[in-house]
Amino acid sequence: METKDKIIVDGVSFFYSSNRVIDNVNAKFKTHTLTAITGPSGQGKSTLLGMFNGMWNDTPGARCTGEIQIRLGGRWVSPLKKEIPMPLLRRKVAMIFQEPNPLPMSIAKNMAFPLKLAGIRDKNIVQEKVQRALEQSFLWKEVKGRLEESALNLSGGQKQRLCIARALVLEPEILLCDEPTSSLDAKAAGVIEELLVSLKSNCTLLVVSHYMDQVRRIGDQVMALEDQGLKRI
Amino acid sequence: MSNTKEIIARNVFFLSAIASAVMILAILVLMIALGIPLFKAGNFLAIWTGPWAPHKGLYGIWPMISGTLWIALLATALCMPLSLGASFVITSLGGPRLRRMLGTMVRFMTGIPTVIYGFVGIFLLVPLVREGIGGPGMCVLTAGMVLAILISPTMILFVTDSLLAVDLSYVQAAKALGANRVQRLLYVMVPRATGGMAAGIILALGRALGDTLIALMLAGNAIQAPRALLEPARTLTAHVALVKAADFDSLEFRSIFACGIVLYLFATTATVAVRVMLRKREVPT
Amino acid sequence: MQEVLEKLAVFLSWTMTLVLCLCLSIFLIYLLIKGLPSFGAELIFGKAEPLKVLLGQARVFDGIFPAMVGTFFLVLLSAVLALPVGVCSGIYLAEYASPVMKKLFGSLFDILAGIPSIVIGLFGFSLSIFLHNHFSDRFGPCLLISALSLAVLVIPYIVRSTQMSLEELPSDIRRTALALGATRLQNIAYVLIPNALSGISSGLFLAIGRCAEDTAVILLTGVVATAGVPSSLLSQYEALPFYIYYISSQYSNPAELSNGYGACLVLLGICSVLFMFAYGLKKHLSYRTLYRV
Repeated sequence: METKDKIIVDGVSFFYSSNRVIDNVNAKFKTHTLTAITGPSGQGKSTLLGMFNGMWNDTPGARCTGEIQIRLGGRWVSPLKKEIPMPLLRRKVAMIFQEPNPLPMSIAKNMAFPLKLAGIRDKNIVQEKVQRALEQSFLWKEVKGRLEESALNLSGGQKQRLCIARALVLEPEILLCDEPTSSLDAKAAGVIEELLVSLKSNCTLLVVSHYMDQVRRIGDQVMALEDQGLKRI
Repeated sequence: MSNTKEIIARNVFFLSAIASAVMILAILVLMIALGIPLFKAGNFLAIWTGPWAPHKGLYGIWPMISGTLWIALLATALCMPLSLGASFVITSLGGPRLRRMLGTMVRFMTGIPTVIYGFVGIFLLVPLVREGIGGPGMCVLTAGMVLAILISPTMILFVTDSLLAVDLSYVQAAKALGANRVQRLLYVMVPRATGGMAAGIILALGRALGDTLIALMLAGNAIQAPRALLEPARTLTAHVALVKAADFDSLEFRSIFACGIVLYLFATTATVAVRVMLRKREVPT
Repeated sequence: MQEVLEKLAVFLSWTMTLVLCLCLSIFLIYLLIKGLPSFGAELIFGKAEPLKVLLGQARVFDGIFPAMVGTFFLVLLSAVLALPVGVCSGIYLAEYASPVMKKLFGSLFDILAGIPSIVIGLFGFSLSIFLHNHFSDRFGPCLLISALSLAVLVIPYIVRSTQMSLEELPSDIRRTALALGATRLQNIAYVLIPNALSGISSGLFLAIGRCAEDTAVILLTGVVATAGVPSSLLSQYEALPFYIYYISSQYSNPAELSNGYGACLVLLGICSVLFMFAYGLKKHLSYRTLYRV
C-alpha cells in the first residue's frame, strides 16, 4: 500500500473575528489511512476539519493563516489559497456531519444529487455509480427495493450511511467525518465504524470523535487537539 | 463552464436589488422635481407654514400638515391603551386558549381592508358621533377613532413580539422569587422591552400618518387647520387623493407634490426612529 | 399602594382588550347584517345572465363583476412584476451581500416599506403624465401604471420575506449541498430556495393581499367607476376597493348601497383568506413583513 503523504498542514492558525481558535497546527496525513482526531469539546475540532474543504471560505469573520497542501490526482492544491474552485475541491474532499443530513427527497434522488451538481446526467452512469456507492456503504441490500421512498423515513444509522454513500458517489479521495456516530445508538455506531475502516482502500479519512475508545479502535494514527494545538498521541 | 452562470446569476440578483433600491430615491427625486414650480413661485417657507387661500394665490399646506398631525396623534393616543392592554393579555394575563384566540383575531385584523373600515365608519360611526356628540359627524374625532382600530394590530403584534423577546431566564428568576404573573410582566418584561414597545408605537404612528382612506372618507376634508376634535380636517394624504388633474401646470395642482414630500419625510423619520430604537434593544442590558 | 397599581393594570388591560374585541365584533356584525341580504349571484352579475357574462357575451352594468375582474388582473399583473425582482433582491441580500451592503439595502427597503401608499400612487401618476407628455398620447393612468405602482408598494414584503426565510435556514441545510460540491448558485437553486419556499410564498400572499386591498394607489393611477372589463394593459379599469369607496359617497339608491355592503363582504373574504394563507404558511411573520399590513 502507498504510504505517500496526502495532506500536509503547515503552521495553520484559525481566527474567528478576533479570537484565535486554532494556533499553529502542523501535521501530515498519509494516503489510505484513517486519522482519528480527538480532544475536548469546543476546541475547534470541527473547525479544523472544515479547513480542508474550504467550508470557511465564505464565512464573514473567519480567517486562516498558514498553509494546507492536499494532493489531488497527483497535483498539490491548497484549499486556503483558493487555487481550485471550491465546488471542485469539495467533490474530491467529501464531508460527513454529526447529524445525518439527507435532503427531503427520495433515496435515489439524494444519491444522484451530487452527480446532478457535477453535471453528470447519463442515466446508466448515474445508476451504476449510485449502486456502487450504496454497496460500499453496506446499504444496498437494505434499500434496493425502496429507492423511490423518502430518505427521511430511514433509521438514524441508515441515514448516516446514506450520507456517506452520497459523499462516496463522486469517488472522493479524502473523506472528512465530523463526529459521524455521536447522534447514533451503539449498534448503529458500530456499523459506521466498520464502514469507515473499510473505506481506507478508497480514500484517506479524517475522523473527528470525542469517544476515546472509538478513536483507538479505528485510527491508524490518533491526534488530539488540545490548547489550540494538534498533538500525536 | 458553470462559472459564467454563477457570475450572471450574481449580477442579476445584484441588479434587482439596485433597481428596487433606486425606486426609493426616484420617488423622492421625482416629487421634488415636479414640485419645483411651486417652490419657485413664492415664499419657500410659506408653502409649509402658510395658509391655503387660492384666491389670494397662497398655496400653503399647513392646514393639511396640521390635520394630519391631529388625526394621526389622536389615533395613536387612542390606540395605545387598547394595544398595550391587549398585548399584556396576550403575553401574560390570559390563559393559553385565550392567547391563541386573541393572536388569531389580531392577525385577522391585519387583513381587513382599510376601505371597509372607512365604509362602515361612514354609515355607522359618523351618524353616531353627529347625533351623540354633535358637530358635522365627519371630523377629526371620527377619523381618529377608526384609525386607532386600524393601526392597533401593528402596535399589538410589535409590542407582543418585543415582550416575548425578553430573555426567559429573567422571567424564570422572577418567578422563583415569588413574583406573580402581573409582577413578572410589569417589573421584568416591560422594563426590558421598552425599546421594542416604543418602536411599535412609532411604527403605528407612521402608519396613521400615511393612511389615506380613513381620513378621506371620515374627516370631512375641509381645508382648514382644525382647532377642536369635532371640526373637520383634511390630511396630506387626502389632499393628494382629492386633487383633480385638470390643470397640470397650476400651482394648486403642484401643491400635492409638497404634500408628498412632507409625507415621505414623515415616513422616513418614523422608519429611522424605529431602526434606532431596535438597535438599542439589541444591546444586551 | 403597589398592589392597587398592579390590580389596576390588570383591570385596565382586560377592559381594553374587551373594548377592542367589542369594536371588532360590532364592525363585523354590522357588516354581515347589512351585507348578507344582497349576497348572491345578482350582487356580482346584476341583471345579466352569469353564463353569458363569463363567456364575454354580455356586459354587467349593475353588479360588481367588472370590479372583481379588474382587481384580479391588477393583482395578477402586480405579482408578476414584483415577484421576480423581489425574490432576486431577497436572494442577493441573504446570500451575496456583504454586511455593509446588507445594512444599506436593509435601510432602503425599510424606508420603501414605510412610504405611504398615496405617495407611491402619486409617483405612478407622475410617471403616467411624464410618459404621456414625452412619448405617446396613448399613455395615461391605466392598468399597467397601477400594477407597476402596486409592485413598487409590495416589493419590500417579498424582499424581506425571501431574505428572512433564507437567513433562517439552519447551517445543516446550508452546508449539505456545499459539502457535496455544489456551487453557490446550485446550492441556492436546489436546496435553499426549496427549503425557504413556505416563507417566500407567505410573503407573496401578503403582497397579493395588499394589492387587492389597496385603494390609495389605484385612486391616482387609473381606476374609474365604470369601465367594464379591462380590454388592454393601457385601458382604465374598475376595482373592488374603489367600488366600495365610490359607493360610499356617490350611491343614489338603497340597492346600490346594499351592493356596497356586499362588495365589502366579498373583499373582506378575499383579503382574509389571503392573509390567513400567509400566516398559515409561516407561523411567525416578523414585524418587518408586517410593517404596513
